[in-house]
Amino acid sequence: MIPNLLTLLIFLPLVGALFILVTPKEYTNAIRSLAIGTSSVALILSLVIWGQFDRSISEMQFLHSVPWFDFNIVQINYSVGIDGLSMPLLVLTTIVTTLALFASLTITSRVKEFYIWSLLLLTGMLGVFVSLDMFLFFLFFELTLIPMFFIIGIWGGKEKYYAAFKFLVYTGLGSAIMFITFIVIFYLGAQASNFYYLTFNMLDLAYIFANPDNPEVLTSGVRAAVFLSLFVAFAIKLPVFPFHTWLPNAHVEAPTAASMILAGVLLKMGGYGLIRIGVGILPDQAARFAMLIAILGVINIVYGALLALVQTDLKRLVAFSSISHMGIVLLGIASFTASGMQGAIFQLVSHGFISALLFFMVGAIYERTKTRTISELGGLSKSVPILAGFMLAAAMASVGLPGLSGFVSELLAFIGIFGADASILPGAKVLGVIAGLGIILTAAYLLWAMQRTTFGQLDEKYKGLSDARPLEYIPMIGLLAFSILIGVYPNILSDVINITVIDILSKIGG
Amino acid sequence: MYSAFNADWSLMTPEIVLAALALVIFTLDFMTGIKGKKPFLGRLSIITLIITAVLVFLTNRTGGSIADVFVVDPFSMVFKLIILFSVIIVIAISLYYLDKHEDIYQGEFYSLLLFATLGAMLMVSSADLITLFIGLELLSISSYCLAGFKKHNRKSTESAIKYIVLGGTASAFILYGMSFLYGLTGSTSLVVIGQNINTLFVDFPVIISVSFLFMLVGFGFKISIVPFHMWAPDVYEGSPTPVTAFLTAVSKIAGFALVLRLFYVGIFGFGERGSLLPDSLYHEFFIVLAIIAALTMIIGNLIALTQQNVKRLMAYSGIAQAGYLFVPIAATLAPYFSMTIIAFYSIAYVVMVLGAFAIITLVTEDTGREDFSSFSGLYKRSPFMAIAMTVFLVSLAGLPLTAGFVGKAWIFFGAVTADMTWLAVIMIVTSVISFYYYFGIMKQMFMRDPNPNDADLKVPVGITVAVSITLGITIILGVMPNLIVDNFSHFNWMYMLTR
Repeated sequence: MIPNLLTLLIFLPLVGALFILVTPKEYTNAIRSLAIGTSSVALILSLVIWGQFDRSISEMQFLHSVPWFDFNIVQINYSVGIDGLSMPLLVLTTIVTTLALFASLTITSRVKEFYIWSLLLLTGMLGVFVSLDMFLFFLFFELTLIPMFFIIGIWGGKEKYYAAFKFLVYTGLGSAIMFITFIVIFYLGAQASNFYYLTFNMLDLAYIFANPDNPEVLTSGVRAAVFLSLFVAFAIKLPVFPFHTWLPNAHVEAPTAASMILAGVLLKMGGYGLIRIGVGILPDQAARFAMLIAILGVINIVYGALLALVQTDLKRLVAFSSISHMGIVLLGIASFTASGMQGAIFQLVSHGFISALLFFMVGAIYERTKTRTISELGGLSKSVPILAGFMLAAAMASVGLPGLSGFVSELLAFIGIFGADASILPGAKVLGVIAGLGIILTAAYLLWAMQRTTFGQLDEKYKGLSDARPLEYIPMIGLLAFSILIGVYPNILSDVINITVIDILSKIGG
Repeated sequence: MYSAFNADWSLMTPEIVLAALALVIFTLDFMTGIKGKKPFLGRLSIITLIITAVLVFLTNRTGGSIADVFVVDPFSMVFKLIILFSVIIVIAISLYYLDKHEDIYQGEFYSLLLFATLGAMLMVSSADLITLFIGLELLSISSYCLAGFKKHNRKSTESAIKYIVLGGTASAFILYGMSFLYGLTGSTSLVVIGQNINTLFVDFPVIISVSFLFMLVGFGFKISIVPFHMWAPDVYEGSPTPVTAFLTAVSKIAGFALVLRLFYVGIFGFGERGSLLPDSLYHEFFIVLAIIAALTMIIGNLIALTQQNVKRLMAYSGIAQAGYLFVPIAATLAPYFSMTIIAFYSIAYVVMVLGAFAIITLVTEDTGREDFSSFSGLYKRSPFMAIAMTVFLVSLAGLPLTAGFVGKAWIFFGAVTADMTWLAVIMIVTSVISFYYYFGIMKQMFMRDPNPNDADLKVPVGITVAVSITLGITIILGVMPNLIVDNFSHFNWMYMLTR
């Protein structure tokens, strides 16, 4: 019997973590090899799944469902599966994590623990993207919380305790809201099907909510409340203004590898949850609140960009650019057009690569210069030309230079917003114009920051810096290559997500 | 007619055996001189408790009673096993603790623990106001003594005095409340009270309500729910740490079992297969219970945020946990369902709390400090203990893949299905607040360096065993709760009502 590939993929990192657990902590090289080996195998496995993925059907694939336990009234299943929405994110997760583990070779204290937490984190992230049972989804969502808390708290910067606890409390609160909402959805689903369905399965619930036997329980007010609380739960993770304040602290204090994973993958769980559960189960309400989502998206874009403009710390600047870029995801979702939704998913993937690369570059430069203050840097292209070059490339990708992935996702999202149905999103064009101005700000803060750091007068003390080490090329080239790949050949991604996007949108029109 | 001669005394075998062996241990203590270290008495106590547990498991499991005064049924069996298991762990912790404290008379300590256990077992099995009160007092008086066992320590003495005075007052409240019930029904039997209470409530609503509230105050004190919780932090702080563990686990769980029996048999009543009766007095009183549960969760968790002493923190955490345990009583869909949930969460609660206390005892005794800093750098001093403590704290906080999470999720389901979503929401929100202080301890363990004065941590075997067992159960129940849940769901919990 061939085991289900998804199940294999999820639990592989867990096995790797167990292997590391029993390895004595003195053998740091063995531990590093084990960790990178495990995540590389996971990467290969996810590429195998990518290869076998059937791009012509919208149903869930690689399904695996076994009963886990029941609470008298409700059966909890271990059920996993993927469609065109989760497939790209699954691959993104394994790629970014593997490359982040390469980037973490500079960590020298408490190596063993670091890799155990990282692999646990990987299991949690993969689990979130493949769970079809909401209870399971919640379990994996929480499983990402604890490792990240420790990674920030142990290997973080000066303000690590504050950042770790802020992260814990904010995302913990988000999880609590999510859990409550899930139970309410479960209960409503049971009532709406006259207690025929007692399930946490997202697909069954989406079906029940679309075709209730007992429509009286699903009044418009109840649906709206459920959707809004789901939105808040995921908005904290994404993050959406005004729930974003944990992000700058966490990203800045986290060690480089963790920042890469945080920005590259963890934020995506919010966007994924919003589309999968929010839009998936309550498409009508998502359309009803499209205006709210779009306005918050625009606020995210402009507000994030404005704050990025005034940052003096390079890493904080990148963190705020993440907030700004996540606004595009919201905007794409809110347009409720095929290209907008595609743009949102593209942006999730593309930002995953680009932000990871940006954080890696900032980390590499900080390691050499021991400062992240923009005004103290300058002229790096003279002393470390390769690093400076990659940083410039990352910034260009982030700005949305054609030929790189950021361009494709922004273009799709904007095509979406300008083509939005006026009945769903009145005044979409105005929002689109404001968001467009926000994108110009992106170019402003990133190019300005690049100008101040890589060009200009080289400070005496940075003259003898060593340029990129061989091992640093792996994450740099890897991340940039994927960004270019999507930029010049977007079909590689759109092939996979097309059918799913059309399927999601077909539910909204009714 | 029942008499002492034709009663089925075999139902009481475990209690009789426990009492006899406790007296043997008491006597052995005299014969070996009052002072000195006597770990063998601790080991004998563990053997005694294991024998008792086996007997509990083997005695009539479907149900039986001695004149409706002493009842044996699945409910009593499950809670007795929880109690006996907890005391075994407490003694395993005590073996280490007493070794470090010369001033404690060891023989008395162990035999008092056993008598307290006997009281707890009586509480769980009694269905009569008199036996119930006797069991309660046997447990309470033994606990008063145990709390003051470090008699040359001012804090320990203070806590014992506080405990006696306040505990005595609580007992008085209970007795006063009971006297109304007896006066109206002319019987001390919970079954008789339960049969008549609905008709009586029509005529005497005020008296019955007052009686209910008086008993609620008294029992609320024993299980430390807000606003009757003030004693707990002081007593927990002053008592010897194993006694604190005993109070948190055994006293509380026995108190909850007693409250369940009293409420569901004597006052609320229940029907076929443990369903809720439409005319149950639960509908009159549930709002009071719900408010108490909500206050307990909120105040317990909020005050815990400000604590610096680990034992005081555990006291407030225990108060918050009592609030969670109280939710299924306040939000009853069906009494049997509430019992199933409470029984499961009780198991989860004792394993995580006792595991945590085993480590707290080890750490506080080793460093000689009781504030958070005693935990600093524990990961470097003993990785296993730090990881185990993390699991216990994560479980107490209610995060996934631990017994605490499954229990809390179940309580949550129960509350939502009983149409008390607001209570469930308070529970989840307060749980998130609790992350802060539980993770505060984790911060000390993993993110701080050990205090330079603290030498290497020598972990005694007893503590390792206790921690390993509780750790195993915490994780197994978190991953495969069906091992227990399947059995519990089919239990005919209480014997007397389904005859």
